[in-house]
Amino acid sequence: MNRVALAVLLCASAGLTQEVRGIIEEVQRRTRSNSQRYEGTLEVMDSRRRITTKRWQYERIGSFGESKTVLRFIEPPEVKGVALLVHNHKERSSDQWMWTPALQRDRRIALQDRSTRFFGTDFSFEDLEERDVDHYDYKLLGEERLDGAMCWKIESRPRGSKTSQYTHSHAWVRKDIYVFAKVEGFRDAALVRRILYRGYEQVMGIWTAKELEVYDARRESRTVMRLEKLEYNLPLKEEDFTLQALRRGP
Amino acid sequence: MRMLALLTWPYVRKHRLRSLLTLAGIVIGVAVFVGMHTANRNVGSAFARTVDRIAGKAQLQVSAGETGFPEETLEKVQSLREVGAAAPVIEAVLNTGREGQGNLLVLGVDMTGDRSLREYDLEDEDVIDDPLIFLAQPDSMIVSKQFAGRNGIERGGKLKLETMEGEKEFTVRGIMKAEGLAQAFGGNLAVMDIYAAQLVFGRGRMFDRIDIGLAEGVSVEECRKKLEALLGPGFQVETPSTRSGHFEAVSRALGITINITSLFALLIGVFIIYNSFSIAITERRSEIGILRALGASRGRVLGMFLGESLAAGLVGSSIGIWLGLLLGGAMTPVLGTMVQEVYGAPQAGEGSEAQWWLIAAALGIGMLASVAGGILPARAAARVDPVKALQKGQFQVIAAGENRMRRLVAFAMWAVALACLMGEGVTFYAGYLLMVTGVILLTPALAGWLARALRPALRWLRPVEGALAADSLIQAPRRTSATVAALMLSLALAVGFAGITRATYGSLLRWMNDTLNPDLFVWPTESITSRTFRFPASVEKELSEIEGIEEVQGVRNARVLIGGLPAMAISVSIEISSRRVPVMAVEGDPKEMLPLAAAGKGVIIADNLSRLRGLHKGDMLELDTPSGRTRLPILGVTVDYSDQQGAFLIDRSLYRKLWRDETLNGCRVYLKPGASEEKVKAEIVKRLGSHRRLFIFTNEAIREYILNITNQWFGLTYVQVAVALLVAVLGIVNTLTVSITDRRRELAILQAVGGLRRQVRHTIWLEAAAIGFIGLVLGLAVGAVTLYYNLEMLKRDAIGLLLPFEYPYGFAAALLPVILLVSFVAALWPGEAAVRASLVESLEYE
Repeated sequence: MNRVALAVLLCASAGLTQEVRGIIEEVQRRTRSNSQRYEGTLEVMDSRRRITTKRWQYERIGSFGESKTVLRFIEPPEVKGVALLVHNHKERSSDQWMWTPALQRDRRIALQDRSTRFFGTDFSFEDLEERDVDHYDYKLLGEERLDGAMCWKIESRPRGSKTSQYTHSHAWVRKDIYVFAKVEGFRDAALVRRILYRGYEQVMGIWTAKELEVYDARRESRTVMRLEKLEYNLPLKEEDFTLQALRRGP
Repeated sequence: MRMLALLTWPYVRKHRLRSLLTLAGIVIGVAVFVGMHTANRNVGSAFARTVDRIAGKAQLQVSAGETGFPEETLEKVQSLREVGAAAPVIEAVLNTGREGQGNLLVLGVDMTGDRSLREYDLEDEDVIDDPLIFLAQPDSMIVSKQFAGRNGIERGGKLKLETMEGEKEFTVRGIMKAEGLAQAFGGNLAVMDIYAAQLVFGRGRMFDRIDIGLAEGVSVEECRKKLEALLGPGFQVETPSTRSGHFEAVSRALGITINITSLFALLIGVFIIYNSFSIAITERRSEIGILRALGASRGRVLGMFLGESLAAGLVGSSIGIWLGLLLGGAMTPVLGTMVQEVYGAPQAGEGSEAQWWLIAAALGIGMLASVAGGILPARAAARVDPVKALQKGQFQVIAAGENRMRRLVAFAMWAVALACLMGEGVTFYAGYLLMVTGVILLTPALAGWLARALRPALRWLRPVEGALAADSLIQAPRRTSATVAALMLSLALAVGFAGITRATYGSLLRWMNDTLNPDLFVWPTESITSRTFRFPASVEKELSEIEGIEEVQGVRNARVLIGGLPAMAISVSIEISSRRVPVMAVEGDPKEMLPLAAAGKGVIIADNLSRLRGLHKGDMLELDTPSGRTRLPILGVTVDYSDQQGAFLIDRSLYRKLWRDETLNGCRVYLKPGASEEKVKAEIVKRLGSHRRLFIFTNEAIREYILNITNQWFGLTYVQVAVALLVAVLGIVNTLTVSITDRRRELAILQAVGGLRRQVRHTIWLEAAAIGFIGLVLGLAVGAVTLYYNLEMLKRDAIGLLLPFEYPYGFAAALLPVILLVSFVAALWPGEAAVRASLVESLEYE
């Protein structure tokens, strides 16, 4: 009797996990595009409320899990030309390189360093990686209303093979349009980082948050990223996402 | 204890100056011992602290000697599962050019990953006001709060430093709190981006080191083994503490010098104590006689004097420790600079540290030395015959039997010492100790013989005073011998050091004349031993295109490990060397070895490397390089003074292949016949100086530079001479005091029968001059033996250099007037004391 009950419970649990994973897959499916380009503005506000602003251009080719992205800073003048190339992989963590025009040098950013802040913002390098659903275990924690929209609250835990600075994350996914409304990353019980997604607009059929706010709990600082001139499915070239192209410049 | 309080204390109070002189023996010995060891320890621990603080949380460090290694190694290291974090590092020591600020240790790190290993605790929370700007702008720098404070620099301020591209202005984008990492190198620390550092220091695409944090659950040993297997034998994978241990290996010669100096200082202290106690016993002989007559046993008298020497040892050692710590603190920066110049070990003194073990050892050694110096006089005091106690002068005589025994023991010691010459290590040095002890035992006899030999000369100078002075020495050999022995030992040490200096100078000059023949030396640093900045290989070609230059020979010197110990690799075009530089071959024929070495078929090693490692022509030199372990045949052995740990000559093409290092430490430039040195220098500055940091040295300037470094190294000789002179003054004052006390009546009678005060003074002065002269003669003789042993020590155990035995005649000749003058000065006060004493009291003496 007990065995039967346990089997039913396991099946139900497995079914539920499968269902939660399906939500995440649906989020990714709905935001999938072959390429993307935008200009972003970054505002970093430290604990003393001092604000620094930077602008960048972002381009992506390929879709979730195996995309390649190039990010080039365009403002302020001191950082103009600094670029980051990311090659995402399904089976392993991404490869990242940084180009410094003043030195005419590229440097590889090592796997072990991805928990560090992304160039003084409150994002970490890991936050910029794409998440493969296969690298996480999911659990539905419940449903909550956020900014007037009903959301699923989902917990994700990295599987053994995945290296992450977070022991687990909580994500709030809007039930109406299948997009993230909020993500919180934890190290054990302590909140490490919170990302709020705001200003959702449908761009070329894809619901996209035009404003992201990242909060670093340890430093008590915030970074707001705004997306402008957003375009999807552009005819970008594969050869523009190589180390040679990074060195060559835009 | 009661006897000490009743008898010793009143004597000490009555003879304060003399008591101070007694203490001075131990004070000097202990102060030199503590001072030298403290300074050495300070420099060593400053290096260890610098390594430790810079290492941060790194549990292992990967390096490849001084050569550095290509950047690709980093990715290999990072790919290892056992490695949690791997951060590349470049280290460079720069002269700040600011008065009193010394050097600045610049750490090149990759800020995108380095923070996982090092805490950059910044003054402001956002230490670096913008990390992206810090990385994007190669002029970015973070400095320690101490350095910023000392130089009045604020965040956003500018800092001018010499770089490969000439003087460059850096922007201080962060200030580190004065703790942890920021305290490294005495707080003179700056951090910059590693890729900017490569550019600024001319390192090409090389790193100096990779600091490693382990992955979770991985042990240090496990990770070390994996890294060693991955990287091959050309890399050293060590914990930071092991790396600090290298300092001891490279500064071995310095350690030996310090130990010898300390030992001699203590020996001299023993003699001063011996001398002072002999005086005390002479003066208190009647007191001892009374004590003995009153029933005091010999044991009690012995105990009282031993107690006195112990108390003197305790007080003298305490003062000596205090003075030694001050001396150590004062010597630390000097020694630190020297160590950095010679060994390239980055460190900066951070004050003087009192080592408890050193204080305890100094106290023990000081008290032991005091007892050793006091035991013979104490024994003599215990044996005082109450009757003879009133017979002045008798006490200073050495019985014929004792003299015979001393001679026998001394000859036996010399025989054993000669046999020990065949031995190695401890046996060999024990032979030296036996040799010196034998001479000390014979000092009274030798001093007596010399005094007799001097008598005619003294009489010729002043018939009455001269004869009196000589007789005083001849009749009281025990009184004179301690001073003579102390003076002899200190002068022997000074002669030994001077001899090494002379031999080194002579050999260096010969070597420089024969081999150092380029017209100009173009270097990226103002110091040719510094390996902070390097030229790219292209500089060699740029220089050779300048009119007036016939040939350019690029030089890459780097300390590498051979069998775990450092040695200097000198990589040059051997084809050019074979045409330009005469080879002083010790093993092998230059005509055969040079073409083979130029073809990269082997290496030529320096004679000191040959001696230190037992390597000879035909042997294989095993080298661990970034390309793996390589065995190269030794084609020959030549005379080469390039490095204290030994050097080997390797063709540049082979070096480049094995170490994958294209950089150059500098270039040797040969001018066309008739070309103007000045014009070529001006052209070099015009063509290269605008975009590159460079210093042009003429051949003469380089020679001067090398000799200056040698001078610094041998600065210890001057300390020895100063100690020798101090010993001369103390010893002679003491001896003369005893002499005057002994001969108070004799001198009073001389005055009573019409002798002039002038004559008494002259007697004392001549006696002092004779003591100084005898000490000098014996010192110069024992100095020859000391020099022989010093040279052997250098050859066998320190730096493997075979230096010729060249007696420092000039130095010896210069000592004669100095010692005579010092003796005269030392005699002034006792002379005055003798003539100013009350005639009545003096005649009543006895």
